[in-house]
Amino acid sequence: MRRSVLLMFFFIFTICVCKASVRAESSTIPEGQSDETTQEVKTPIINKANEDGELKHTVSTGQSDNTIQENTSPANTTYEDEEPVNYDVEEEPPLVKDPLQSYNRAIFTFNDKAYHYFIKPIYTGYNSMVPEKARVSVRNFFSNVKMPVRFFNCLFQGEFKGAGTELARFVINSTVGVAGFFDPAKSKFHLKKQERDFGQTLAKHKMNSGVYIVWPFLGPSTVRDTIGLAGDAALNPLSWVSYFFLTLPEGFGNYAYDTVNEVSLDKGQTYESITKPAIDPYIALQDAYVQNRIKKIKESELCLKK
Amino acid sequence: MNFRKITSALCIGILSLAFISPLLWAGEPGKLLMETIDKGFAILKEPSLKGDEKVQERRQKLWEEVSPIFNFEEMSKRALGLHWKSRTPEGKKEFVELFTSIIKDAYIGKTDTYSGEKVVIISEKQDKKYATVQTKIITNKGTEVSVDYNMHNNPGKWTIYDVTIEGVSLVNNYRSQFNNILIKSSYKELIQKIKAKQSKEETPTK
Repeated sequence: MRRSVLLMFFFIFTICVCKASVRAESSTIPEGQSDETTQEVKTPIINKANEDGELKHTVSTGQSDNTIQENTSPANTTYEDEEPVNYDVEEEPPLVKDPLQSYNRAIFTFNDKAYHYFIKPIYTGYNSMVPEKARVSVRNFFSNVKMPVRFFNCLFQGEFKGAGTELARFVINSTVGVAGFFDPAKSKFHLKKQERDFGQTLAKHKMNSGVYIVWPFLGPSTVRDTIGLAGDAALNPLSWVSYFFLTLPEGFGNYAYDTVNEVSLDKGQTYESITKPAIDPYIALQDAYVQNRIKKIKESELCLKK
Repeated sequence: MNFRKITSALCIGILSLAFISPLLWAGEPGKLLMETIDKGFAILKEPSLKGDEKVQERRQKLWEEVSPIFNFEEMSKRALGLHWKSRTPEGKKEFVELFTSIIKDAYIGKTDTYSGEKVVIISEKQDKKYATVQTKIITNKGTEVSVDYNMHNNPGKWTIYDVTIEGVSLVNNYRSQFNNILIKSSYKELIQKIKAKQSKEETPTK
């Protein structure tokens, strides 16, 4: 009898250890990204739990389909309350204020036309002449030059580890990576680029996004992100080089080339995949922009907590 | 003694079942998702279905394989938000059909340019009937796109009710569009707009 009890305890113990190790493993696998992502999922859940509860219930009782069964079960409704998805459309505060909508829509239409009739023909021509590998290298080069933008924003956001990563990346890529045309820091040393911008820095220091603005050629932005753009431009060595050593057309050409190269790689595709299937492309782009910004700001905040 | 042995063995059996079973369930939504993705990739890689002239056939096959994992009714419900409950059953059915075709048109065409992209699972979080599977698409240019699938356990089957690409939730994106239209005009007009969009979409592809 005693032996079997001992055996039982041993069994339970091993299973517990097994479970713990599995859990630990599943949270460590993705190179430090899982921590931020799992937390990320949790944060909105708690915030929205209260606002949603009531309204969601009304939605679920209003159904006449088979889904009604799942929603009425008590175990489920308690969880559903925690779901980050909002049902309350009228009550839901819009993600961004848009009092300038009529102006914004006009600029959006202009940008859309400019993209389809001006920028897209340019980059499709460019694509047919320059192979993709070369374009990736050009992007790497520009991105390496713009390292101070990311480095200083990491510092401004208090992420000293991220700043260190950027510094190491710059040293490796400028030397081993042949003046930044290749990215051995990522492929060999697994140092990921820290996408940090001044808009995030401002958001981190509790600045609100302000109203939504669409700029000609630059696209969707907010008041905060516009200041962010200016801040990034000031941190960007390319703009200093243009200011001191290049004439205005040269500086502009420099910027335009970077942009076209960027658009030719994937930004063009991203833009089309957002606006093409949309019922209202203007709103679709606005919503995508704002949701994406929120994610990026959250990412930088979670990096800090780690 | 024999009786005691049997009871203790039973106890161990039950306890171990209770402890092990969550481990067995844990990977289910992610596994289902990856299986579906693999099936989709298999079709895209199929040599007999390659080429421009086989676009329609390939899309159709892919749709048959991949669509069962999506819960279009739940997606439509969430996309329409509060306006869903004021619809008649027929209205709901019509809307689900329309919304399904929007999603289909939007994403099935994306697969035509498939060029060896890979999908890896980053993490999987499950809580009773809901699960979030975080994945990453790695393109051959080396860019990584994070794609999260929100899944829901309908009796016995995990289905996707939302897809979040780089923080942009598909359902939320459509909800803000629908909401914006519904604030200014009626539901009828929304349906008209969707239908107009659909017919515009259909003419160039055929």
